[in-house]
Amino acid sequence: MAGQSSTGTSATRRLGILVILMLAALALCGLWFSAEDVVQGSTVRIMYIHVPSIWTAYIAFGLTALCSGVYLSGKNRSLAWDRVAGAAGEIGVLFVAVSLVTGSMWGRLTWGTYWVWDARLTSTAFLFITYVGYLAVRQLGGTHRQRARRSSVLALLAILEIPLVHFSVTLWRSLHQEASVANPNAKVELDGLMLFSLFLGLVAFTMLFVWLVLHRQRVMMLEDAFSDRGLDVAITARRNEAGV
Amino acid sequence: MDLTPRTATEPGAQPPASKRRWLPILVVVAALLGGGVIVTQFLTSAIDYYCNVDEIGVRSGCDGERRMRVQGVVEQNSVKQADGGTTFTLDFNKKTLRVTYSGDPGGVFQECIPIIAHGRIVNGVFESDRIEVKHSNQYVEKNAIRIDEANEEAAACSVLKG
Repeated sequence: MAGQSSTGTSATRRLGILVILMLAALALCGLWFSAEDVVQGSTVRIMYIHVPSIWTAYIAFGLTALCSGVYLSGKNRSLAWDRVAGAAGEIGVLFVAVSLVTGSMWGRLTWGTYWVWDARLTSTAFLFITYVGYLAVRQLGGTHRQRARRSSVLALLAILEIPLVHFSVTLWRSLHQEASVANPNAKVELDGLMLFSLFLGLVAFTMLFVWLVLHRQRVMMLEDAFSDRGLDVAITARRNEAGV
Repeated sequence: MDLTPRTATEPGAQPPASKRRWLPILVVVAALLGGGVIVTQFLTSAIDYYCNVDEIGVRSGCDGERRMRVQGVVEQNSVKQADGGTTFTLDFNKKTLRVTYSGDPGGVFQECIPIIAHGRIVNGVFESDRIEVKHSNQYVEKNAIRIDEANEEAAACSVLKG
């Protein structure tokens, strides 16, 4: 990274352009080409953001747990794993927030209410709070290795919430509908272009997530290097004062 | 050799590290409190029994005049709106329940759609103060319905011709 003025590379720039094109295609398919739903009308278009958001959050938290596990089990305990875990956690929280907000808007238009203390909504809100806590724990201070160790343990515990969120609609009687694609019946419940738009959203949001993680973990690496450098400077100054 | 951090005195300098750590501690505490509130709200809302129409008077907790949530499908041709209120019949497994609601239920409320009504039974009628409309996990394009209708009309037409 020495001498580099940004966190981007030619590969991430190409990926960024591809993400923009995919999001533009999603906007066209979601808002223009795909038809209205028989019952919900145009409201169904919220699904093309709502579902990909929570999908991406699942991937993000999965990556956080995976990298945390690798960090804790690895011999050399590279901090790079911890930084990717932290970056994925931050972006996951962002996507859960998007999912909660769009879900609330969708709920107002279809259910007639912004929020109910239903199993799916409650477990998703709890997931959001848990990972906000995870991000706060990362900022509690100490050395980079202390940060990595305590946040890795928390990430491995927090990931257990995801099956609870996903299967909450089958475990409890829920106002939230069951999954239309990844359901126990393995039956796809969406018509052609609606399914395509949803799939496009999943791919576009996943690519956006990858692009964001690549940049964020590089920023984190620079932050760690900056704080290490600050410590080195302080130690050198004290040594000079003491004439060591 | 003294390695304790110096107190920043220069203008614009960062505050001491010990003070900067308060924010994450507050966020952790807020997250713990928030988690507790979420679980409490979920458990509190679960106090009202969740009954299907056919479970009323049959299942424990789904009887009497206690507050409950009732799930069923809005029966066809049963919705009537008058004096700012809505009355309709809920149907589930061939059992029906008359419901009154003071207002417009909102959402995609319509006949033949599953709903959850919150309230209590008074004189055999379910007096609801909150209605939530369920929608299935099936998404059907309006165009597809129009094509099906056109196909049905064409089929009916060819039968008449024959």
